[in-house]
Amino acid sequence: MSDTPLISLPPAAEAELVRRLQARDEAAMTLFYDRYSAALYGVIFRIVKAEDEAEDVLQEALVKIWHAFASYDPSKGRLFTWVLNICRNLSIDKIRSRQHRVGSKTQGLDDSLTAQRQAAPTTFRPEHIGLQEITQQLIPEQRQIIDLLYFEGFTQSEVAEELNIPLGTVKTRARTAIKVLSKLIR
Amino acid sequence: MENIQEYIESGILEQYALGELSPAEQAGVEAQVAAHPEVREELLQVQAAFGLYAEAHSLTPPAGMRERVLSNVLAQIAAPKPAGGLRADVDAVAQANSLTATPQPTAVPGEAVVRPMASAPAATSTPAWAIAASVALLLSLFGNMLLYSNWKSANSELVAMQNERTRFATTTTVVEKKLGELRQENQVLRSDEFRAVALAGTKTAPTAHARVLFNPATHKVYVDVRSLPALPAGKQYQLWALDKGKPIDAGVLNAATATGEGLQHMKDIASAQTFAMTVEPEGGSVNPTLSTMTVVGNI
Repeated sequence: MSDTPLISLPPAAEAELVRRLQARDEAAMTLFYDRYSAALYGVIFRIVKAEDEAEDVLQEALVKIWHAFASYDPSKGRLFTWVLNICRNLSIDKIRSRQHRVGSKTQGLDDSLTAQRQAAPTTFRPEHIGLQEITQQLIPEQRQIIDLLYFEGFTQSEVAEELNIPLGTVKTRARTAIKVLSKLIR
Repeated sequence: MENIQEYIESGILEQYALGELSPAEQAGVEAQVAAHPEVREELLQVQAAFGLYAEAHSLTPPAGMRERVLSNVLAQIAAPKPAGGLRADVDAVAQANSLTATPQPTAVPGEAVVRPMASAPAATSTPAWAIAASVALLLSLFGNMLLYSNWKSANSELVAMQNERTRFATTTTVVEKKLGELRQENQVLRSDEFRAVALAGTKTAPTAHARVLFNPATHKVYVDVRSLPALPAGKQYQLWALDKGKPIDAGVLNAATATGEGLQHMKDIASAQTFAMTVEPEGGSVNPTLSTMTVVGNI
């Protein structure tokens, strides 16, 4: 699969998968899994940071994707964007409920920030486009902000508070990072 | 929107893509997206950028996960399962919940379950009604489980109590019967009309000892064993009354009587001077086997 980046999944192939899922073709879920599981699992795992929980969330997400598929509108965005959001939301719900169980949210934020900084290099095995390439394109400050926003579920205000920088700076860095990433797609 | 560029630069599209916005703010963004192709183009770029970032972090799931996850998912999405009581009800409620959620806020199709254009709001912006509904569902679930388990234990307690009652009734019947027997025995033993006849062991069983209670007026006969030798298989003790030397059958002793458990009411005897017991084949004999005579006594 590493020679088939998901973003560039041919529109025809994606449309075919969407058509089969809309037709309630259960076998298409296997195809869906083979296409997207690595990307979705990567995001889920980076958010929940535990293999067993990541597996639970992925399973939950697939069931949800199946049941909610009628509400996916191809004219409004890519299938990948849609399913990614489902996975990301379920994962963030998971860690929020976990933090809620454990207690203070502030504690959770501090912990997760340091944990993420340290855990990243050893456990992550980048595939597809390659983490290396993206890392080289983004300066550390940009990457840090995107990680907090995307994998920790922080709001922009929370990032500003966490890093003790103005909200405007967070917005600028996030936008610049997105511009850099957009250029990589083209 | 007068200054589209300013709108784009405000960072609201990133917030939308990350699911930070309230449903009302999302609706606002979607209106802008629908009205301005530049905004739409920009949003698609933001989403694609996050998509790329996510994809760059792809991880091959651990070995064995594919089979586990796929089989569980396929089992869960398989055509309607047979109604399975509580579990099925819960599923139905959950399903109905997600279905009713779909057409919720006007400008946000697919709200709460999924967001078609951009990221769904994370937990912070989950609508209050959804939280309330989830809480209500959980509470109702919990309540149902509680009721179900209470009902189950109450049911088994009831069964246990019914069993107990049946057992008690049986015991009572047995006790009443026993009591009736004892009363009767007591009457016999206390009655002046009954004559106690001691039967002593013969040469074949010198330690054997029994008693006959005989009422010459009513002709009733009771036997009361103190000690008799154990019987060989297929044999029974038989009581005889000797009237002027002629043996008259007074009935066989049941096993309980032979081991001395209590009085046994025997056949009525009109007149007798002597009582004796012999060992006879089960069911008794017409004439006594004199060689087996165990106890004998005169009135």
